[in-house]
Amino acid sequence: MSQKNFLIDVDKCTGCNLCVVACKDEHVDSSYTPWTKPQPEGGQFWMNVKPVERGTIPRVRMNFLPTMCQHCEDAPCISSCPEEAIKTREDGLVWIDAELCTGCGDCQPACPYDVIYKNDDLNIAQKCTGCAHRVDEGDLPRCVDVCPHEAISFGDDLDTAELLHPEFDAKPRVYWKGLPKPWVTGMVVDSNKDEVVIRATVTATDLKDGTSINTSSDEFGEFWLKDLTPDHEYRIEICHAVFENYSDTVTTTSDCELGTIALRTKSNR
Amino acid sequence: MPKSPDCRIVYVSHPASGLARSNFPLECHVEDGKIVRSLPFYIPDDVQLYEIETTERGNYSRPRKEVQMPLAFAAKQRVHSNTRVKYPLLRDGWDSDNPNAAGRGSDSFSPISWDKALDIIVAQIEKIHDKYGSMEPVLVQADGHGQSGYLQSLHFWGHYLFDMLREHKGWGWWTQQVRNPDSWEGYYWGAKHVWGFDDTLGEPYQDAVWDDVLEHSEMVIFSGNDPEATGFGMSGSVALEMPKWLKKAGIKIVAIAPDLNHAAAVHADTWIPIKPNTDAALYLAIAHVWIAEGTYDKSYIDTHTVGFEALKAHVAGKDDSIEKTPKWASRVTGIPVPTIKALAREWAAKKTTVSVYFGGPKIRGTLSHLTARMEAYVLAMQGFGSPGRQFLRTGAPSFYKKSLAQVPRYPEVDFHGLAFSPMIEYAIGHGPKSPVFIPRTLAAEAIQQRKISWKSTTAALAKAEDQFESYRYPPTDDHPGIRMVWNENGSQPGSWGHGNNWLEALRSDNLDFVVGVHPWLENDLTYSDLILPAQTNYEHEDLVVVQRSDILALFYQEAAIEPVGESKSDYEIHRMVGQRLGLDDAFPPADDWLKKSYEGTLAFTRDELSWEDFKKQKHVIYDCPTWEEWVEIKKEQGYSEHTGGQHWFWNKADGLQTPSGKIEFVSERIAKLDPDSVERPPLAKWIAHSEQADSEKAKTYPLTVMTNHPKYRFHVQGDDIEWIRELGKMRGEDGAFYEPCWVHPDDAAERNIIQGDIIMAHNDRGAILFGAVITERIIPGALSIDHGAKIDFVLLDNRKVDRGGCINLIAPTVQEKYEKGAEIAIPEMNISGFLVEVEKIDPSRIEPGIGMNYDELVRGRKSGDAA
Repeated sequence: MSQKNFLIDVDKCTGCNLCVVACKDEHVDSSYTPWTKPQPEGGQFWMNVKPVERGTIPRVRMNFLPTMCQHCEDAPCISSCPEEAIKTREDGLVWIDAELCTGCGDCQPACPYDVIYKNDDLNIAQKCTGCAHRVDEGDLPRCVDVCPHEAISFGDDLDTAELLHPEFDAKPRVYWKGLPKPWVTGMVVDSNKDEVVIRATVTATDLKDGTSINTSSDEFGEFWLKDLTPDHEYRIEICHAVFENYSDTVTTTSDCELGTIALRTKSNR
Repeated sequence: MPKSPDCRIVYVSHPASGLARSNFPLECHVEDGKIVRSLPFYIPDDVQLYEIETTERGNYSRPRKEVQMPLAFAAKQRVHSNTRVKYPLLRDGWDSDNPNAAGRGSDSFSPISWDKALDIIVAQIEKIHDKYGSMEPVLVQADGHGQSGYLQSLHFWGHYLFDMLREHKGWGWWTQQVRNPDSWEGYYWGAKHVWGFDDTLGEPYQDAVWDDVLEHSEMVIFSGNDPEATGFGMSGSVALEMPKWLKKAGIKIVAIAPDLNHAAAVHADTWIPIKPNTDAALYLAIAHVWIAEGTYDKSYIDTHTVGFEALKAHVAGKDDSIEKTPKWASRVTGIPVPTIKALAREWAAKKTTVSVYFGGPKIRGTLSHLTARMEAYVLAMQGFGSPGRQFLRTGAPSFYKKSLAQVPRYPEVDFHGLAFSPMIEYAIGHGPKSPVFIPRTLAAEAIQQRKISWKSTTAALAKAEDQFESYRYPPTDDHPGIRMVWNENGSQPGSWGHGNNWLEALRSDNLDFVVGVHPWLENDLTYSDLILPAQTNYEHEDLVVVQRSDILALFYQEAAIEPVGESKSDYEIHRMVGQRLGLDDAFPPADDWLKKSYEGTLAFTRDELSWEDFKKQKHVIYDCPTWEEWVEIKKEQGYSEHTGGQHWFWNKADGLQTPSGKIEFVSERIAKLDPDSVERPPLAKWIAHSEQADSEKAKTYPLTVMTNHPKYRFHVQGDDIEWIRELGKMRGEDGAFYEPCWVHPDDAAERNIIQGDIIMAHNDRGAILFGAVITERIIPGALSIDHGAKIDFVLLDNRKVDRGGCINLIAPTVQEKYEKGAEIAIPEMNISGFLVEVEKIDPSRIEPGIGMNYDELVRGRKSGDAA
């Protein structure tokens, strides 16, 4: 049987949270055994849109990570369960058999993605089933169905793209595109004239491997060097025909804001 | 589609847009009398959608999938809310001989029968008539947003009821509460005097404007505009598509606002943070750059405008000795000088459109009329109406048209496709129906003060001249004033300014009787003497008139579930009262009314679908024209293929609804009717005011609060839904949900506030609790708090404070800008851009439950009532 995957495109997600509410609408008060029993009214987020605030004023933007069970091939939760209640369907969706689950709670800390919840009333562990009950009927999972931006796709011929926390080594079946990577931003002004500097070339050179990317300052003097490699040291150079060069070194432990950079006019020699 | 044979599909109108007009309904699945789920609506393949064509930027359409804001999916949770009013409730302290007014808001209630409730109401109405000879002492508050059913959940039946008493029984006028221009204040009080547009609330026509913008525009300014929140809530999916259209067309989005709002956070190319309500200073500095560099459209100024020399003099500081340089504006706005200059140059060089949608500094802010006029000035300086230089609304493509919709649609469908409720005239009218009226912004004062005077009816479609007419309440010195309130809103304290004052007014001894009609015991409903239980949209049949979307449609709404308790629809409640008073003919059975309304639409008159067949088919969705058809339609209205918006004015240089027919920098009308006004002089000028960061008051209250429309609730609506609270609120250390308050790290550090702290915002009007969100998304010196949360009064060190996070409670009143007894020249509202201080509080000092403990508030609950 073909394996199903999700693909989440972070660049398309605007954080509307419809997927969160649609998931609750589907599962609260409704039972879809064997795949799941009802979700309690509040407190569980089988789909959880995690906001990531980036940058400092005025260069601030939001990313949103719609995070759900990653339906891992090597799911740590499966091996953690003493009752062998966590199972993988033929199509790859991972589910918790409520008949076997004793509510011991071992699977919760075992999951590195933190997507398993405890239902205290029913004394069972619960999580996203990939809407197995809908998939069996040929329908899309509710989060996919409701998304107004096609930020969440579901199917069996999706591009592998990126993984969320590949270092967990769990072989997730949820693929990602556009996961946030560090940026270096700033604003270039003319030190003499209280004016922005437009079309200055801004280059980031990776001091580890010598590769570089560049951009130019826009009409507001702002520049954004995007998608840098995390935890690398970069040399940032700003060049413009009429100004002296500017250079700085940053380490991309997070997004880097260089602030307002005042360039000095080249002296006529 | 549901697989279960027991599953019934019901289309339920939007829970919150209101005014008899809806977004697309969701596809609601009902099994065993229970709402199981709500799914997006997919527009069937046989409905022809539009496609906007451009020469070089591709084509633009919309998806067949139609979703609504999260609130719509979660609304089913509200049906059985533990605050649901299930029976008529009578306040225990009330007696017809002694109303015990002070008990309103704290007294308990007892369930009574409908029969008894109707007896009491009829006796009170008759008492007013016998004692005073007319219905004028009854303040009827019905208006505003609410549930979006066409007939059954409409909030205008109070007006209609008293109007019918007058018409059929000769009982005289009632006091009509007139809806002030609540979401278009700046355009109404300000921009109208620059460019007219009286017919479209002071905002320029939207005819085919997308054709023009997508073809020509290079930059769009989002001035506090947030389609991801306000646009989505009002219009559904299309509002989410619109920013994507701009991106696809390669148009740069520049967001100017104190906060990085939900749309700016994901769509903006540039964010320019600005101190709240200082945009007028920015616009003046932009004009300064253009004048200095000669980069404005001088020939347009000559042919299309009057009075420019006066603006030039003001910019140069000839009248007030302040030259409006970028440096001056930088100090006022907090925007760096280089950024102001860069913006001015970009605006001049690129075809720039300004975009709004019921948000930002031109609605509900202090002196919003000044900002809106200045914005019109700078638009005029760059040839407003020329290709790509337009005024764009990102939502509700049906509104604000001269003759055509914003997107390709058949005019025939626009004008005859839908049923239009005549009741709308009570809310969006050319003037009050009753000559005895009070603007909504002054209702509390009218109850308390006995004598109040002001200018303007404040009616939405009133001519601009009306803003210079004087009115008073009560109409005569020997008038009894307001003795009874008919409250069909339930939203006054959370949607308008100084809600604390409104609640105090309801406790006035002047009032003998307060009636509330509402599905939930919330907000000001607990200040009623008698509460009548209204239904939710899930509990009755109705027509769903889809007019807020880009695609027009009619749906038949079946009842999804049995009514909760003994609740009745809003219509039915007023019908029952009307029948007791002998108004049977004025209130036909709901189905008769709906049938008659439906039979006025194209679905019946052109397509010959009978009412009975429509009810079986459940929906009619109108086709859109092909691009070729649309181009022909536009030609008839004087637009070529890729023009729209104000292109007609650019061509004609005349025909605006101003005295000169042109754009007026100096308003001829103001110069004639109110020439000495300091607040709104003939030429809009920069003026400081008492709620600004450099005012005297700011020494005590240094932070400026700005308030947006919320992303997850709809004004006050939906704030009690668990799923919506989980999304929109912050969990405090005491376990309670708090409304988020955005604080910049610098302001937080100064006050030892950290992320997640419970903080109190306060000023002389009261104190409200919030959860602190420390964020770079707000300019230092300002706070961002969404308006309209649900009130929850608690005690903190014996002080009454609101834990619900309803910032409106401590927003200014109109009155306080004027001396007591003085005529109020502009009865505008200000709920965004006013001063407070915040401090961290210890939640263990909170004593809960003086206003929201429903189990204690309603005595003798029947078994099984509790949620």
